[in-house]
Amino acid sequence: MSYQATVTKVARGGRVDAAEALDLYLHAPTAVLGRLADEIRALRHPERVVTYIIDRNVNYTNVCVARCNFCAFYRPVGSGEGYVLGFDEIFRKIDETIELGGEQLLLQGGHNPDLPLDWYEDLFRGVKTRFPSFRLHALSPPEILHLSRLSGLSVPQVIERLVNVGLDSVPGGGAEILVDRVRRLLNCYGKASADEWLDVMRHAHRAGLRTTATMMYGTVETPAERIEHMLRLRALQDETGGFTAFITWSYQPEHTELGGGEATGIDYLRTLALARTVLDNFDNLQASWVTQGGKVGQLSLAFGANDMGSVMIEENVVRAAGASYCMDENEIVRNIENAGFTAMRRNMHYEILGEPVFRQRQVPRMLALAAARAEGDTSRPPEIDRYAARSAAEKARRGPPRPA
Amino acid sequence: MSGLQELADRLAQGVSLELADAPAIVGTPDLIAVGMLADEVRRQLHGVRTTFVRVLEVHVEAIPAALPPGANAGELRLVGPPSSATQALEAVASARKLSGGGIPLSGFSLADLAALEPSSSDLFASLAREGLEAVADLPVDGPGDTGATVTRARAAGLRVERMTVHGAAADPLATVAAAIELQRAVGGFRTFAPLPRTLSTMAPTTGYDDVKAVVLARLLTRDIPSVQVDWPLYGPKLAQVALTVGADDVDGVAAVDSGTLGARRSALAEITRNIRAAGLEPVERNGRHEVIGEPSRSGRP
Repeated sequence: MSYQATVTKVARGGRVDAAEALDLYLHAPTAVLGRLADEIRALRHPERVVTYIIDRNVNYTNVCVARCNFCAFYRPVGSGEGYVLGFDEIFRKIDETIELGGEQLLLQGGHNPDLPLDWYEDLFRGVKTRFPSFRLHALSPPEILHLSRLSGLSVPQVIERLVNVGLDSVPGGGAEILVDRVRRLLNCYGKASADEWLDVMRHAHRAGLRTTATMMYGTVETPAERIEHMLRLRALQDETGGFTAFITWSYQPEHTELGGGEATGIDYLRTLALARTVLDNFDNLQASWVTQGGKVGQLSLAFGANDMGSVMIEENVVRAAGASYCMDENEIVRNIENAGFTAMRRNMHYEILGEPVFRQRQVPRMLALAAARAEGDTSRPPEIDRYAARSAAEKARRGPPRPA
Repeated sequence: MSGLQELADRLAQGVSLELADAPAIVGTPDLIAVGMLADEVRRQLHGVRTTFVRVLEVHVEAIPAALPPGANAGELRLVGPPSSATQALEAVASARKLSGGGIPLSGFSLADLAALEPSSSDLFASLAREGLEAVADLPVDGPGDTGATVTRARAAGLRVERMTVHGAAADPLATVAAAIELQRAVGGFRTFAPLPRTLSTMAPTTGYDDVKAVVLARLLTRDIPSVQVDWPLYGPKLAQVALTVGADDVDGVAAVDSGTLGARRSALAEITRNIRAAGLEPVERNGRHEVIGEPSRSGRP
């Protein structure tokens, strides 16, 4: 029962090492792990406030050259099912988000070779011109790395360019498991190695951006590799202090090349509780209701989470892999309060914005998350032809260049 | 916390909890603490043994002529309210043929049968003669003198062993009180499924609500052997959590695999994987609560 010594050590403020964390994960009963995580949450957030954000997950393109085998969302270059959202479509989504009380887009997408850096710059500039106070939480580390590779600019240069046109913060997507053995097996080593992912975050933090950190578990990694992932994040947080929150979710297998099963609900709660224990320099842990459902999402609040994540409004990536849960602001708040906490709205920096919007004005209920596009919409945004095509498929689609 | 500590001390001394203790359980935000109490009682009663049953449900108005290919059921269950006593009897006769006599046959809610014939002893006897072995469930939040109806059904030869909760807005304190009273009054129940079988779209029960309902059931109905959770209705994640806070029996595991997901994701593989991942040991039973087998680690019986 060596885990008990670790429980005592953590309860006294000690920091766990890899061996202790593994022992806890493998041997501590779920209730013991949960209780430990709950005590840490209570110390960090004694006011018993659980936060959430109203924002919208927009995936600007599903065309991707990375070809991660755990992803059901992407389409290869040239696919008839590939899409790129037009600037006007994105502006309309922002209007809808503001209507629901939102103040931010979580903007991520595939590694589309036909979207050069200036497409992103024009989009960001357009957003900030039309919606000056609206926030762009955009482009995960592999996307920034992709732009660096496409443009020939260094990662810090890409970040600087994006910040200059309105990038506010960086989401922690694409981390999966930050162990290269795992990344090779998931065919995501090429999009970013563990070191490369961390290095993009390091540069983002140095540029003054705050970011989140994530972990997708339940594919091919070992428990020790989950812990290695957490320890690498902890080390970078010691160095920069730039992460605002950690979010973990289980791999969603439907329609993926990798296939297999999904990790169980208990595994999620144990992994979350372990993360709360290991990541002693992270202020916030989010519940992933979008992958676990509202019920286990709420139970996360007893296992270390202090944030219910996002109302989300729209989601495309995990939906493609079989998860289709929905919680609007009313439902998120009801779950927070039902668990005995006070619900407060926040921004990406975890600054409290106020009480629920629906208690201040009428907001339409939402029973299903929106999708990137309506079924069967294959329209092509008019501005896309302004940007240089790179792929052979896109060049062929556009035909021979017109004479000047 | 002092209230919960007092409850823990009493449980440790072998003292059963009572309805008067329920507010302390329902009112606490300390979900893990109450879950641990219920898990302790569950382990005293069952250890790590966790039973499950594969159920083939057939609607009373649409009984197929043959079993679906690959069906492997421990119970054939007629679902849906019959429109008349005649329809109920015909459904049982058809289902009996379907089962070939080998699969335990259950069906109906006792409330639905009682609604067809208020003094339904004749109907109960006829259903038993046609081959119905058990009434599938007795909603404790239903109307009428359920104790008297249970007695008549049993006297006619039907097993009535499973208490359920039907209403989406059922008060867990009221339903557990009803279950306690029924067991005291007529006895013979072996299973209580405390989670509502109808769910509100706009305000479904929360995870905390569900966990506390299971905890209450386990802590307060110690003389009902099993606390049950429905696998498809509540989903694998919540159902698995329920097994760690007092539930010991899983109902409604699919008797037919879709075939599209492969053997590793068959219903049997999924249920055994989830039970083991909760630190428990799966035991497959049938509708008569007879053990069919203890699945091997490979997921095969």
